[in-house]
Amino acid sequence: MTGAPARNLPALLQGLYEEGFTGTVRVSGAPGGTIHLRDGLIGAVETPGAPTATSVLLTPGRIDDEAWLAACAAERDVDRLGGQLVAEGLIGAAELEIVCTAAVFDAAFAMALGPPGSWTLSDPEPTLLATPGVEPRRLTEETTRRMVQLSGPWGAPGELARVRPTPVTGSGPGRWLPHRHQSVLNTVNGRRTARDIAFTLGRGLYAVMLDLTRLEALDLVRWDAGREPGARPSTAPRVLPERRSATPQPSRSGAGSGSASGFGSQSKAEPLPRRRPGGASRVGEGPAREGPAGQRPAGGSNAFAAGKDGGTGG
Amino acid sequence: MTTAVEASLARLLDSPGVIGVALVDAVTGLTYGVAGDSEEAAGGAECAELAALIVERLGQAGAEGELESVITTSARRHQVLLAVTRPAGDPLLLAAGMDRERANLALATRSLGDRVAEVLA
Repeated sequence: MTGAPARNLPALLQGLYEEGFTGTVRVSGAPGGTIHLRDGLIGAVETPGAPTATSVLLTPGRIDDEAWLAACAAERDVDRLGGQLVAEGLIGAAELEIVCTAAVFDAAFAMALGPPGSWTLSDPEPTLLATPGVEPRRLTEETTRRMVQLSGPWGAPGELARVRPTPVTGSGPGRWLPHRHQSVLNTVNGRRTARDIAFTLGRGLYAVMLDLTRLEALDLVRWDAGREPGARPSTAPRVLPERRSATPQPSRSGAGSGSASGFGSQSKAEPLPRRRPGGASRVGEGPAREGPAGQRPAGGSNAFAAGKDGGTGG
Repeated sequence: MTTAVEASLARLLDSPGVIGVALVDAVTGLTYGVAGDSEEAAGGAECAELAALIVERLGQAGAEGELESVITTSARRHQVLLAVTRPAGDPLLLAAGMDRERANLALATRSLGDRVAEVLA
């Protein structure tokens, strides 16, 4: 990339858009991800935080696995796989475009849930692409809208992403629900996060989180924000208990807000650290951490959210 | 550049009185494409929220069954939101703005409903 290093991810993508860059942007962090650009437009985003277009097509059986593999065998260039799927009549061009475009926006939202990391640019890698792709400004604006939309009593969307909702038993049996709310409700079991549900159903993470908030408003599911057992505490102890002073702290890398989605490295055997009122906390170690619920403004220093300047790129 | 979605939507502008159409994600509110007058088709996020609110209130009132359409009429315009179901995946909404003087609401809604499946082709 030419010129001064971009100050954040949206600025980077805007610069690459103006250049007409074709290639790959790898973003570190939790969850982090890979952004595929074609002629400056964002054709695909892959992140561990949200299902890809491929999973959205295969998980609910929109295209069956055998037909998929046959199409992959017939068209070795994955960049052109979409055209092959349409040519074989497995899916309409418009529907494929919808699935791929939705996946780009969803993955960007998933990446925005965590703190931004650094990035590296590399050559294009073949992947299933939205054609023609999404303009970065639109992606950034929509991501910001989604972050605002999902801020609520639970705090920032990152807090909602780590809850593990449970179904409310004995709540008005027989109430009719739209099919997709019913399927989310059937998948909620107190162990799955929104991300787990999204992968199970092959649906977008943002859509699942929205549905969860609606089901919660209907008293059909509930969650204890920030207190669910087994999750990595959002504020790790800065001062270790004396008896464990020789024990290394849980690894910081790869943790962050993705921890609720199964990326956390802390063993469940360890006692949960306790926060002390006015307790010491060291400032300035590592990247900005998410505080307890509500301490961080929605859409604050998140990857992909517009209007911030805390990026650590270059 | 015309996308596949926009090309599909453009065909719906043949229906008499239809001024603008948009294809919107009924859950996320993302607009996938617009044809004709985009102002008349209304914003995707608002359409999705309106439809979600109506579904919720209908549900509270004891109504059953998936949403089919939302029709708003005013002195000069009609606005129709048609649910587009697909084989798999979240539902979509087709938002259509119509000129009241030129459109027969019943006929236009019926014809859009009949052709709505073509949009995904």
